[in-house]
Amino acid sequence: MNGEPIIRLRRLAKSYYRETLEIPVLQGIDLDIPAGGYYALMGPSGSGKTTLLNLIAGIDRPSAGELDVCGFALNGLDDDELAAWRSAYVGFIFQNYNLVPVLTAFENVELPLLLTPMGRRERRERVVEAMERVNLMDRMENYPRQLSGGQEQRVAVARAIVSNPELLVADEPTGALDAKNAEEIMALLEGLNRDLGKTIVMVTHDPKAAHHARHQIHLEKGVLDRTVEVNR
Amino acid sequence: MKFLHLILRSFFRSKRRTVLTILSITVSVALIAILQSVLATLDGFANNPDASNRIVVRHKVSITNMLPMRYEDWIRQQPEVEAVMGLQWFQGVYIDRRNFFPNFASEAEYVTAIFKEEIVDYSDAQYRDFLRDRNGCIVGKALADKFGWKIGDVISLQSEIFPITVRLTVRCIFRSKRPADEMGLHFNYKLLEEGVFYMKGRTGNFFVRVRHPDDVPKLIERIDRHFRDAVEPTFSETENAFQLEFLKMMGNYTTIIQMITGAVLVAILIVTANTMAMAIRERTIEISVFRAMGFRTGQILLLLMGEGVLLSILGGVFGLGLAWAMAGAIRNVAGTFLPYLQNFTIDFGTMALCFQATLGVGVLSTFIPAYRATRRPIVDGLRSL
Repeated sequence: MNGEPIIRLRRLAKSYYRETLEIPVLQGIDLDIPAGGYYALMGPSGSGKTTLLNLIAGIDRPSAGELDVCGFALNGLDDDELAAWRSAYVGFIFQNYNLVPVLTAFENVELPLLLTPMGRRERRERVVEAMERVNLMDRMENYPRQLSGGQEQRVAVARAIVSNPELLVADEPTGALDAKNAEEIMALLEGLNRDLGKTIVMVTHDPKAAHHARHQIHLEKGVLDRTVEVNR
Repeated sequence: MKFLHLILRSFFRSKRRTVLTILSITVSVALIAILQSVLATLDGFANNPDASNRIVVRHKVSITNMLPMRYEDWIRQQPEVEAVMGLQWFQGVYIDRRNFFPNFASEAEYVTAIFKEEIVDYSDAQYRDFLRDRNGCIVGKALADKFGWKIGDVISLQSEIFPITVRLTVRCIFRSKRPADEMGLHFNYKLLEEGVFYMKGRTGNFFVRVRHPDDVPKLIERIDRHFRDAVEPTFSETENAFQLEFLKMMGNYTTIIQMITGAVLVAILIVTANTMAMAIRERTIEISVFRAMGFRTGQILLLLMGEGVLLSILGGVFGLGLAWAMAGAIRNVAGTFLPYLQNFTIDFGTMALCFQATLGVGVLSTFIPAYRATRRPIVDGLRSL
């Protein structure tokens, strides 16, 4: 962790509209997350943690405030620029893995690399490297339906890191897993943060999962409540 | 190119649905191709370039009124005229009405001069035999083959128009450029005059061969002007226009065929649009994941529309294949009682039209659901189940 903020939020706000009714979800969020940080976003349902994660990941747009991530002011990017930014800087890990069922594990992991100018051989090397990292070399040709939940999530992690993004965002990555598999995924993420210096922002309800992060950010009714450093 | 395997994998995601949709497009395209080819065949019949220098002269009142045979002499004297021949549609039945083929009482000595483009290959000796034998007839090779007629065979034709049955001896068999032109039979006009008293010195039509096609309009005008005040005034027109009049008796077939084609196209559009809408809707989360990973709007559109276009192209290709096979069956079966269909084929123009139509269906049916999928907020898509 080098201390430079990779994520910088100022007076960030997000509201949804139900017809003409404004529903504020996030209000006045000021937050700095340094490069190489590992943060868990916590809070009760409806506190806005997933919305905050989505804003940081550039898949949602704020209603107000400044949002600088990986050196880019995301408010100033149009949809295609934002897509290009995501492909270069962000890796996604979802609660339900969201693998493409008609593609093998190898092909799922290769997907983000299709957006790069890499040739087939280089893509293959990168996929193999990512699959080795998640210890699934023997499952590369399996389809998602042929994998366990834990294996699917490991493929999803491989997909998230294959393009070597600076930032990993994870939305309840252990939410659909049993305790053993959840522990394995958390160990994997911890290793990515520790060994590769990936900045990780993770939404979780699970205190055990949150304990793997270095910091816990607590949200309450759309407002930043407190940031806690995790003591191990 | 690197997205092609993504398109192919998604394409076969639901094999049963894909196969059924392709089948429905295949059948529809085959139907459109057949209908359009029927139209092209009939149009070709009424736009026969070989008939560009032939005029048909008939009674001004209707095709069932007869003209005096003596008109022929005056017509033959016109400087533009190369040949003229009295010809009467006989509508003779050979054994059974299902054995339909065109047969005419014609002035034998002019048959080959008038129908130079149709009667292209024949034996001079056989033709002389035909001219010598009042009961002789000249038949196309395809017709002779169909009924197994050989030179010297005797056949009976019972007319449905005149109270007469003629017994004809096959004297000459000719070849044509097109199979449809080999389905005709001509016999000596004198046989009709002798057998039907009111046909003595009278005929239904004169077929006139003009030396140069440019002279056709003025000759038509002159013939009709000359006989305008006669007891039996004439109405002259090009042979193509004459054929078109017969086709018009079937009603406005062009409009009917185009309406059916339009209805079938709309049906395929709906079927394909429904399939693609379902395929895209059930992948809402997946599309959102692709977009989250950085796939741009254009790339998502390319992937989804690639599937729709591939679906319609496959359906189109199989449909044209089916139509091609059906065309052969139509030639062999329907062509035997509808000589127009002897030349029936799916021509390149029809294939191109069908291919463009199916491509259009693929693009149209996929664009709207694909575009909507790319406009949906990513976070909404990820939330949907």
